[in-house]
Amino acid sequence: MIRALPIRILGAAALLIAALVALVVYEGQARASGREVRLAMEAFDPRSLLTGHYAALQLADALPAGARCPDGGDEGWIALRPEGSVHRLAGVAKTREGALKLGPVAVRGTASCIGGGAEEAQRVVLDIGVDRLHADQTEAEALEAALRAGPDRPEALAVVSVGRDGRARLKGVIVGGRRTDLDWF
Amino acid sequence: MAGYRKRLEQDLERWIAAGLVPADSRAAILGSVGEGRRLDAATTLAAVGSAFLGIAVIAFVAANWDAIPRLARFVLVLGVFAGLCGGAAWAARRERPGLRNGLLAIAALVYAAAIGLTGQIFDIAGSPPAALHGAGLAAGLLALAGRSSGAAMAGLVLLGLGDLSDGPFQEETALPWLAFGAPLGAGLAWAWRSSPLAHTAGLGLVVGAMLLLIRLGPPNDAGLLLTSAGFAALAAGARWRRDTEGAAAGGLFGWCVLGALAFFVIAGFEGKHFEGLPHRMVWLALSAGLLALGRADRHGAVSGLAVISLIGAVCAILFDLGLGLMSAAGVFLVSALAALVAGWLMRRRKPA
Repeated sequence: MIRALPIRILGAAALLIAALVALVVYEGQARASGREVRLAMEAFDPRSLLTGHYAALQLADALPAGARCPDGGDEGWIALRPEGSVHRLAGVAKTREGALKLGPVAVRGTASCIGGGAEEAQRVVLDIGVDRLHADQTEAEALEAALRAGPDRPEALAVVSVGRDGRARLKGVIVGGRRTDLDWF
Repeated sequence: MAGYRKRLEQDLERWIAAGLVPADSRAAILGSVGEGRRLDAATTLAAVGSAFLGIAVIAFVAANWDAIPRLARFVLVLGVFAGLCGGAAWAARRERPGLRNGLLAIAALVYAAAIGLTGQIFDIAGSPPAALHGAGLAAGLLALAGRSSGAAMAGLVLLGLGDLSDGPFQEETALPWLAFGAPLGAGLAWAWRSSPLAHTAGLGLVVGAMLLLIRLGPPNDAGLLLTSAGFAALAAGARWRRDTEGAAAGGLFGWCVLGALAFFVIAGFEGKHFEGLPHRMVWLALSAGLLALGRADRHGAVSGLAVISLIGAVCAILFDLGLGLMSAAGVFLVSALAALVAGWLMRRRKPA
């Protein structure tokens, strides 16, 4: 038996715990220090019991009448420009520099267009790695009910922090003017 | 061990009756083998009770998950992991290797779950392959630190899942981590003489090599045959040391034989230059040779593999030749003669 085995096991455990804590702290700092943008989103999907209670969300926004779907939506960088209280897609580019020429905020991700039939406006869907919000069951069900309220449904926005690394991190959601932030508690 | 002892007891009775072994030696011979470890009823019930207690705790936490603050949830997740590692360190100190190994294996899986739960608790988005690879590396660290074959096995499984989670057959994507982790796992299995780890690493070697070939570009004849030759060389090395290295070498031998055979067979279907009857004939000969080797070594897995391979080779030849039954008859006649002559030569060379 190796005498140092208990020390080695405890050392490895401490290292792994430190790595997980560092990840949480780094992500928290990046989320707090990033540039905040608000993006339109659509109705929540039902929760999953396997991965905890979460509300799946889709960042989708109607394309303005006559606007073309951005070509090359899978190029890797998305440019966003402010429009009132929200940010909207300004274009896509292969590089961060290219995206910053199109709009003041550049975020890693892809854009694709859906819909566009005779009676349906074409919508652009952003895939920036933000696709779910973990919330408790009561909160998730209340959000879902509000968003499925039909034509009178309240405005729904995802509050996203765009870090210097170009990654988007979810900060919270705003539904009907009520903001729910992710915090430590 | 218990099975071997039982067999030895029966053999001893026969040998003593035949006068080959003196009856006085019975106790000494059986004493040298030992009784083998057996769990008594109290230990078994304690293990079952512990498992039920664990399930009850998990169900209670899951039922109140939403009510627990995020930070408390995170501390809870880390606490469970730290508790398991602390238990493993205690077991190492008390020189209880089985318990240490088991606790570290569970700790490796709990850490994998902790990565996912941390992402959920704090809504940290990340790619599933990166999370699985990270969990695999963490399990590897625990395995090396605590000399745990169980944690090493968990690490290999997690690395493999990470490689497969972003599409196993995608070309020109990232190189598979299993292609580097599995050889390390095989080395640890060899050093620690762990048969279960040898089997996991052996499977990892085959899957890792396959993924590596696919991701380096469309597999060609040369790549497939070289890989097959590499596995054959590894199999030969493992077989050579099988008697001295024990079950770990035996497990690796079986998996390397599977790798060698599998890549050779695929080369005859995927390759452009090495296909048709020459490939099938070599396949048939290899399968027959492996069957003889498996029987000689009393290696059931290799024998079974060789039988399946023989059936596959026969089916492939019949399929290739279509309805040309006369050609098929000729091919199998030549094969039968070759097998009979080889067997006759080997029997003649065998000392009386």
